[in-house]
Amino acid sequence: MLFNDPLLSRDQSVACSNCHAKGTAFTDPQHALSLGVNERQGTRNAPSIANMAFMKEFMWDGGVIHLDFAPPNAIENPLEMDETLEAVLRKLNRHGSYPGLFKKAFPELDTITTPYLLYALSQYQAMLVSASSAYDQYQLGKGSLTEEERQGLDLFKAKCATCHSGALFTNQDYANNGLDTVFPDLGRARITESDADLGKFKVPSLRNVALTAPYMHDGRFKTLENVLDHYAAGVKSSPTLARELSGGKGQLGIPLTSQEKRQLIAFLKTLTDYAFLLDPRF
Amino acid sequence: MKNKLFFLLAFLAFGFASCEKESESKEPGTIDINFDNVAIVNGTQTQLSMATAGSTTYTYTNGMSQTFNVTLLRYFISAIELTGPNGEYFKDEVSVSAAGSKGYYLIDESKSASQYVTLNDVPAGEYNKLTFTVGVDSTGVVDGAAGGMLDPATNKMFWNWNSGYIAVKFEGQSPVSNSGITGSESLAAGAANGIVYHVGGWKNQPGTAFVYNNKRLSFTFDTNVKVDKDRNPEVHMVFDMLKLFKGTKTIDFTGNHNVHKPADGVDVANNIPAAFAFDHAFKGITNEKKLDHLRGVFFCFSCLHKGRCGNQHLPV
Ligand code: HEC
Ligand code: HEC
Repeated sequence: MLFNDPLLSRDQSVACSNCHAKGTAFTDPQHALSLGVNERQGTRNAPSIANMAFMKEFMWDGGVIHLDFAPPNAIENPLEMDETLEAVLRKLNRHGSYPGLFKKAFPELDTITTPYLLYALSQYQAMLVSASSAYDQYQLGKGSLTEEERQGLDLFKAKCATCHSGALFTNQDYANNGLDTVFPDLGRARITESDADLGKFKVPSLRNVALTAPYMHDGRFKTLENVLDHYAAGVKSSPTLARELSGGKGQLGIPLTSQEKRQLIAFLKTLTDYAFLLDPRF
Repeated sequence: MKNKLFFLLAFLAFGFASCEKESESKEPGTIDINFDNVAIVNGTQTQLSMATAGSTTYTYTNGMSQTFNVTLLRYFISAIELTGPNGEYFKDEVSVSAAGSKGYYLIDESKSASQYVTLNDVPAGEYNKLTFTVGVDSTGVVDGAAGGMLDPATNKMFWNWNSGYIAVKFEGQSPVSNSGITGSESLAAGAANGIVYHVGGWKNQPGTAFVYNNKRLSFTFDTNVKVDKDRNPEVHMVFDMLKLFKGTKTIDFTGNHNVHKPADGVDVANNIPAAFAFDHAFKGITNEKKLDHLRGVFFCFSCLHKGRCGNQHLPV
C-alpha cells in the first residue's frame, strides 16, 4: 500500500516500488543508478529488499542500523523522494483512507506519527521473506538440482561462500571485491572514515540474484556473466582488496574456466524464488 | 503596652511555628530542573540572544576573537539521576516506544517550555547531586523508530545516513566562516557566513569515525534539596553557549565549521561538560503550604535562606 504509493515523494511521482520493484525481487531493473523525483540520478544501485528482517545493517555502506531507519533515507534524500517526513505525515493524516487503516493496525493511534509510518513500512518489508527457491527445496530434500547446478553449488561453496555465506548468501560484512583502484564512492569508509574500509561494500545477498541486474553498488555489470568475468579476470588490486581475491603468486581474483562459469550461473539461477515473486500479498 | 508586646510575641511564635512546621511527608514528590541557556561574558551571565538567518549583528566572540551569532541551539538531555546525602536515589527511566519515548528531553532555546524538565514520583528525601547524559545513547537508537522526543520528524535531531541522534545542534553565523555549509535547519544551504555544529555519536570503535560524543555529567548542589509531596523544588542549571567554543579546545570558525558527523564534532563535544553548571536551587513549597508560609514569612527569620524563600521567589 504505502510501499507502492508515490504520495511519499515530494511531487507524488516516486514510490518505494519504483526502485524496489516486485517483479525483480524488489530491485530496480532499469537503472544502474536509481532515479528519483524529476529523474534525478542517485549515486547507487537499488538493492533487493527481500529478507531485510534478517539483516543487521542496511545500505551498501551499512550506515543504517535498523530497518525502520532505512525509509527516511529515501524519503528525505533530494536524489530520491525529496520530501520531508513531516510533510509525508501531513499528507497521510489528510488522506481519505490511511488514517483509518493505521487506526485499524494501531488502535491506540489518533494521528499518524513517524514511528508508526516507519513500523508500517518495516512490517511490510519484514514480510518479504524469500526462502522457497529451487535451492531451498533441494536443501529440504523436497526437490532436486541438475548435475550442472550441483556442480555450481560445489564451486560456489569452494570459491564464493566465505563472503556469500549461510542461508542468506551474505556474511553481512563489508568487503572490497576488486572493482576499482580509486574509490569515488568510499563505501564503508564513508561511515567509518577508516582507510582500512576504503572501497568496501556490504556483501549482498544473492537470493533471486538472476533477477536483480544490474549488479554491484553502482550497477556496473549488466549480466551474471559480466560478474563472473570480473571475479575471474577483472579484479583490481588495492590495499583493501579482500584476501580471498588477492590470490597467490601475484595472481588476482578467482580463476574460473568457462565451464565453471556456466555451472556457477546455473546454480545462482536456482536461488530464484518464484513462489515469493508471485506471492499475491505483495 | 504589655498586651501589645504579648501579641507581638504570640504572632512571632505563630510565625516560627508555621515556618518550622515543615512537615515530614514520606510521599514522593516532584522536582523541576530548569536548563537555562546563557552566555557568560566577563563573568556576567546574560540571557542568550538569538539572531535570524542573514543577520550581520554578531553579538558573541569565541576564544579566537572571531565574532558570531546564534540562530539555533538545541540539545538532548537523557537518563537523569538524582542522589542524596543519605542514600536517596532517583532514576528517571528511559524507555523507547512508538507511543512516546520516556526519559529523553529536548532543550530548545526557541521553546521556553522545553527548558523545564519535570521529574515526577521522586522518593521523599534530600538530594544534592544531579547526573544526566547530554545526547541519546544506544538504548534510544538500536530498537528502531520511536515516538515522542525521539521522533525524527519533530526533533530534527536524527542522522538518516548514519543512524544516530545529534546530541547538541548549534547553528549560527560568523563573518570569518568559509561558507559552503550544508544540512542546516535555520540557514540556507551554502549561506555565506554559516557555522554549523551538529555534534553527536553514540558508539565507540577506535580507529574509525564511530566516536562516542555523548557526555555523562554530574553536578553537586550547594545545598540539600528536600523533595516530598508538599515540596516541589527547582534546580536551576545553566548552559553557557560560549563555552562550546572556548573550553578545553578553542574552536576556529574558519576551519571545521560545517560539522555533521561524530568524528568532526569531537572538539566541540569535549567542550560540552564545562558549558553546564549548577547555578542554584529553590526549595519548593506547594500552594497550601505557601499560604501558611506567607503568614509566617513576615516574622520568620529562619526562612531567610540566601535571600530567597521557597521556589516562588517570595519577596522576603
Ligand atoms: C529513487 C530510488 C529509491 C526509492 C524511491 C526508494 N529506494 Fe530504497 N534504496 C535505493 C537505493 C539506491 C538504495 C541503496 C542506497 C545505499 O546503499 O546508500 C536503497 C536501499 C534501501 C534499503 C536497504 C537495503 C539493504 O540491502 O541494505 C531499504 C530497506 C530500502 N531502500 C527501503 C526503501 C523504502 C521502504 C522506500 C520507500 C519509502 C524506498 N526504499 C524508496 C533506492 C530507492
Ligand atoms: C571477498 C568477499 C567476496 C567473495 C569471495 C565473493 N564475493 Fe561476490 N560480492 C562481494 C561484495 C563485497 C559484493 C558487492 C560489491 C559492490 O557492490 O561494490 C559482491 C557482489 C556480488 C554480486 C552482485 C550482487 C548484486 O546484487 O549486485 C554477485 C552476483 C556476486 N558477488 C557473486 C559472487 C560469486 C559467484 C562469487 C564466487 C565466484 C563471489 N561473489 C565471491 C564479496 C565477495
